Amino acid sequence: MLILTRKIGEGLFIGDDIRITILEVRGKQIRLGIEAPANVVVLREEIYRRIQEENLQAAEARGVDVTQLAKLWKRE
Amino acid sequence: MAKNFSTPSAETSTMSITTRHFGVIQVRPDQVILLEPGLLGFGQYHRYILIEHQRESPFLWLQCLDNPDLAFVVTDPLCLLPEYRPPQLARVIEEMKPESPEDMKILVILTIPPGRPQEMTANLMGPVVIDLKRRRGRQIVVEDPRYSHKYRVLPEKV
Repeated sequence: MLILTRKIGEGLFIGDDIRITILEVRGKQIRLGIEAPANVVVLREEIYRRIQEENLQAAEARGVDVTQLAKLWKRE
Repeated sequence: MAKNFSTPSAETSTMSITTRHFGVIQVRPDQVILLEPGLLGFGQYHRYILIEHQRESPFLWLQCLDNPDLAFVVTDPLCLLPEYRPPQLARVIEEMKPESPEDMKILVILTIPPGRPQEMTANLMGPVVIDLKRRRGRQIVVEDPRYSHKYRVLPEKV
């Protein structure tokens, strides 16, 4: 892992078009400003992992189960 | 990636791919939907098609073309929650600049545990927005406490 030390107001670039700025430090909290192109996904880690994990589980769906659900659906 | 495709025939330029769920399917170029960025966890795959599950079924398959083993069951969230309207969705639709609002299709991905379909959940936190006219879409993340990534669709017991 690359480790850098920055002061408030300083920033860094990731590639040509992702810029991260340190905006504020309040006790244990740090506010970051992130500028990135629209096609780059920027998410808090826990949110990213939650959606990623859900997508991985969703990819396990089986056709027989879907057919059973469709039948159930029609009845209701 | 390309190895999953047969050489397109000159007249139709349809692609023939062998999928896990549907066997060999023919795909016309105008059916292809580009998800950019790709689904979280599957960022390396971009090309998908929508396949209707069955007549009168509320489900569709979002079949990946770049990985024919990969497919997701999706549905219109309004089938599950008629009031589903996360504010981020409107903003993203605006950003995607559709020719007409009717071109936009909102889908949610369903998680169906194998062998336990009753336990199906819908990911209301990560809807997929597709511009059907331009054939482009993306998964967005809705951070709204009303919309869970594991919304239980069916009651515990029928």
